Amino acid sequence: MAKKLVSLLVVMAMALCLIPAMAETTATTDYSSWFPGVDTSQHVVLTFLVTGNIPTNKTDDVLKAFNEKLTAAINAEIKIEWIEWTDWQTKYNLALAMQDGTVDLVGTATDWLDAWPNTKNGAFLALSEDMLKTYCPKTYESVSQAHWNLCKYDGQIYLIPEDNYSQWTNHGFLYRGDWAKEAGLTSGVNSWEDLGTYFQYIKDNKPGVIPWDADGSGSSYSDQMFGGWISSKTGGVNIEGFSAPLFFGKSTTDPYTLSTFYTEGDDLLNFAKLMKKWADAGYWREDVLNYTGDQKAELEEGLSGAQQHHTQTWKTERYLMEQKQPGSDLGFFWFGKESNTLVSLNITHGALAIAAQSDAPERALMAYDLIRNDQTFYRLFNYGIEGQQYVIDANGYMARPASYKDDSVDGVSLDYWWGRNDALELRSALVDWTTYDKLMADYNAVKVDYPYGQIVFNIDDISSELDNLSNVFRTYAPVITFGKEADPEAYVAEFRQALKDAGIEKVMANVQAQIDAVYKK
Amino acid sequence: MKVKEMQKNKPVFHSTKVKLDVSDRTIRGFTYVFVSIFAILCIIPFWMIIASSFSTEAAIRRSGFTLWPTNFSTFSYSLIFRSPDQMIGAYVVTILMTLIGTTVGLFVVSMTGYALQRKDFPFRNGISFYIYFTSLFSAGLVPFYYLMVKVYGLKDSYWAVLLPLLMSPWLIILMKNYVKAIPHEITESGKIDGAGDFRIFWSLIVPSMTPALATIGLFLALGYWNEWYYSSLFLGSQVTYRPLQYQLYNIINKVAALKNSLAATQLVLDDLPSETLKMATATLATGPIILLYPFVQKYFVAGLTVGAVKG
Amino acid sequence: MQLDLQAKRSKVSAPTLVHKEKFWYKISRNRTLLLMCFPAILFFFIFSYMPMPGTYIAFTKFNYNKGIFASPFIGWKNFQFLFSNGQLLLLLRNTVLYNIVFILLGNFLQVVFAILLNEVMSKWFKKTTQSMMFLPYFISDVLVSLLVYNLINYDYGFISDTVRSAGGVMPKYYSMPGAWPFIIVLVNLWKGTGYGTVIYFAAITSIDTSMLEAAKVDGANGFQRIRYILLPCLKPTVVILLLFAVGGIVKGNFGLFYNLVGNNSLLFNTTDIIETYVYRALMNNFNFSQGSAVGLFQSVVGFAIVMVANGVVKRIEPEYSLF
Repeated sequence: MAKKLVSLLVVMAMALCLIPAMAETTATTDYSSWFPGVDTSQHVVLTFLVTGNIPTNKTDDVLKAFNEKLTAAINAEIKIEWIEWTDWQTKYNLALAMQDGTVDLVGTATDWLDAWPNTKNGAFLALSEDMLKTYCPKTYESVSQAHWNLCKYDGQIYLIPEDNYSQWTNHGFLYRGDWAKEAGLTSGVNSWEDLGTYFQYIKDNKPGVIPWDADGSGSSYSDQMFGGWISSKTGGVNIEGFSAPLFFGKSTTDPYTLSTFYTEGDDLLNFAKLMKKWADAGYWREDVLNYTGDQKAELEEGLSGAQQHHTQTWKTERYLMEQKQPGSDLGFFWFGKESNTLVSLNITHGALAIAAQSDAPERALMAYDLIRNDQTFYRLFNYGIEGQQYVIDANGYMARPASYKDDSVDGVSLDYWWGRNDALELRSALVDWTTYDKLMADYNAVKVDYPYGQIVFNIDDISSELDNLSNVFRTYAPVITFGKEADPEAYVAEFRQALKDAGIEKVMANVQAQIDAVYKK
Repeated sequence: MKVKEMQKNKPVFHSTKVKLDVSDRTIRGFTYVFVSIFAILCIIPFWMIIASSFSTEAAIRRSGFTLWPTNFSTFSYSLIFRSPDQMIGAYVVTILMTLIGTTVGLFVVSMTGYALQRKDFPFRNGISFYIYFTSLFSAGLVPFYYLMVKVYGLKDSYWAVLLPLLMSPWLIILMKNYVKAIPHEITESGKIDGAGDFRIFWSLIVPSMTPALATIGLFLALGYWNEWYYSSLFLGSQVTYRPLQYQLYNIINKVAALKNSLAATQLVLDDLPSETLKMATATLATGPIILLYPFVQKYFVAGLTVGAVKG
Repeated sequence: MQLDLQAKRSKVSAPTLVHKEKFWYKISRNRTLLLMCFPAILFFFIFSYMPMPGTYIAFTKFNYNKGIFASPFIGWKNFQFLFSNGQLLLLLRNTVLYNIVFILLGNFLQVVFAILLNEVMSKWFKKTTQSMMFLPYFISDVLVSLLVYNLINYDYGFISDTVRSAGGVMPKYYSMPGAWPFIIVLVNLWKGTGYGTVIYFAAITSIDTSMLEAAKVDGANGFQRIRYILLPCLKPTVVILLLFAVGGIVKGNFGLFYNLVGNNSLLFNTTDIIETYVYRALMNNFNFSQGSAVGLFQSVVGFAIVMVANGVVKRIEPEYSLF
């Protein structure tokens, strides 16, 4: 009896606790206090420009539900304009270049989506602090002044950073832990040399498996492999904002002196020699530079032993691989591990801007503030409708309901990469969090902030040199990366000469001067 | 009477009654062998595409394309037809555009081509140059896009795809060249009968140029059927049904477009379209016009002849 | 009679006015033919001439917010990267040589096929083969490159497997720059022959049948009929197509080259054309103005070449010229 009473009391106490919580969630249907004194009597339709494929799943339904709520809250609805991946750079820039007021919200990024060039081109609206305070109050509060400073060009804020979302897109190799163990690497792959051992083991012991069946036809591998080697072997830090990874800071402790990796020293040659050795040993296919396959699928099918990508990919892939290749214990060798060089993601890796000619910049900011900071809007926009697209399981993780079969049919994909928020994120049940958190602990021990956030490089004086350097890099780098040259020494010398001819010395001096002007006062 | 006779510009078939000499037989024998080999070379790759579209992804991963499906599977097709209205909509849009565009385009191209080859038309060189010049100088992407979107207001409109493909300098000049082969006496006889220029064109010239019309019509139709460029520029995500070839282009090029850009190194992307899906889309987008081509051509030419008799 | 009319109408004797009068008279006299050309004239005005002033973008630092004409003028700076790279000659050589081979071999094959098809009597055979020859035209460059890779790649290619099982040694084509001019030309011919053949086939079918019959009666054999009747009849078409192609001789087919060769710089010496170079240089550095500058450069060169070529043709055979 006493027991029953206690439990009754507990239940009542819980109910009492729940009442304010419930009251709060119902109260959030009234958003007038969120934006005090803002007139929303006129209904507006906001166009949100994002990159991604036009979804064929339940996105439309979710967006409809979302818009009903948004109309109730701030009398606005959102229309998504997807820029599909095919020819996306052209189409994205064309959409911005029109400046006809048809676009309001723009998803952008400084590292992969030309945020600064577009700012300079006049595509974006300068956001005054008053504007942000009034129409984007929660976001304005949550972003620190130091972070706002990184979003300024010419003293004006143009971007709203995704600065409260932990993600790591630092590159490395995904490898199979089970095979690494068999190869005698008991603590996994921890260096490029270990990676070579791992590949050789596969070559010798796994018939029919290509150690790394790289689809080398894409140009991005050379960027990552070069960058990976530099950060692993010299501790260099990549400087964003150029069309090719040509500029690196010397190290995390001395980031404001340019690395001379390309022009002098043996590091480049060592890289070329090792890759040549790997190529000759057959770690990837002979015609790798024209192979267009899918390294991810090959790994999943057990036809390849590695995938070169980043931490976020590993995070989801590890769980998936356990289903497809049980016991595979997918590991991640991150570039920079050897020298403990790890740079956090630039906070403008995802960012939001308002189009310069937007008809309703105020309402656009309000809508963004709600998506970013309000749980109801956030979850609807990112995860869909609870019970249809996701459920929260007994452990508090986000899981799929039984009716949910396939992302491409039942899912929602609004491609929101422009202001995700850790406070409102749900942890997916489809991730091995123990292993992931362990890696995060390693990262947290060595990470430094991106050191060049305050610079928006002015490339007007060096643009034709940069174009030619970009061409030189794209010509020589893939060959070096996959060791396809006959003689690494001669080829590296040729590469260096070509860089010199294209004006690398002039450009480096120019870039160094710009860095000095900002950081060496 | 004379005109009638000249209208009989039928394809040049040799009468079988005439005895074949050695050279004829040599040419003919050579033709059958040579043309057959080339035709087979042309069809094998397409056959392989169809065969791989019915294979499983894992089966073609290493061995590549084969002549027969390995591990027969219709998975890719079931994937495409999971939302059948999309596919049907794409077919409808493509077919309608092809029909309308070809009809209107053919009319304008042949009319212009006829006028431009008339030796008594004093402006023919000027207009020819005016048209030809546009094939040398195009203003480039931004000005064109700017005009289409901001001045003509054609963003997300099917007109933006239908209109620019109506004609091209190349087709007009080709047409002009074909019409030139029609004896000038036809025009002269029409003039003597007191017919106006348009009447001469419509009731005397058109009936005698069926091969030319069929050819130019074919090119126009192919142009519309294979269209992806303008669709990709102007038909954004607000348009529900995009043409077939655009969807194909999109699926096929997505991977390459991503692999070459920084986005690939920065994002976690959804699963990219598999090889078999690409093949299945290619089969669906190309198959119909290949199968229909002989019939369409037959009825098209017949229709033109009938129309001419009535006119 | 006409002149009388003219004189009566133009009461003023000033020569300019006479000229003007003549012009309007010419227009009214040809009004039907002009009207027949009108849709085309309007079409090219709307879709081709209207955007032309926008070429100015090639000389500006294009600012989205200001629009093309208010963007700052920066002269030849957008052209600089093309001329300063030291590779322009190689790029031009490759682009032009490929085009010349494509044009000459392509048209030759197309004429041959058109004539051969005309010799075929079986309607069924003619129709079927024509349709089959059209197929490659539909296969996109991405798929073509995939097919080529599947055929000749060293590790798993169809040809490699065959060669190896026959005990031979497979050449590593993807590391052999010398092989690629042949591969690219073959692919291009394979893709375009069916399409081009139709053009000549239509030209043949519009030849007056009686001429061929007469030749036959006169005892001309097959070769002679081809040599003396069919080929001369195809000449104007050949000349016009050649003239047309010449205008684009410095423009390359990006899709074909890029997909076949990709980023494999081992092959660039023999396969790099202007378009692929520009793609590499401007990749990840998105710039509308520089792209326009390259296009303008190609147009100007093409225009100059066409004017010369057309002039030459006009002098020899005025009827064959384009304008």
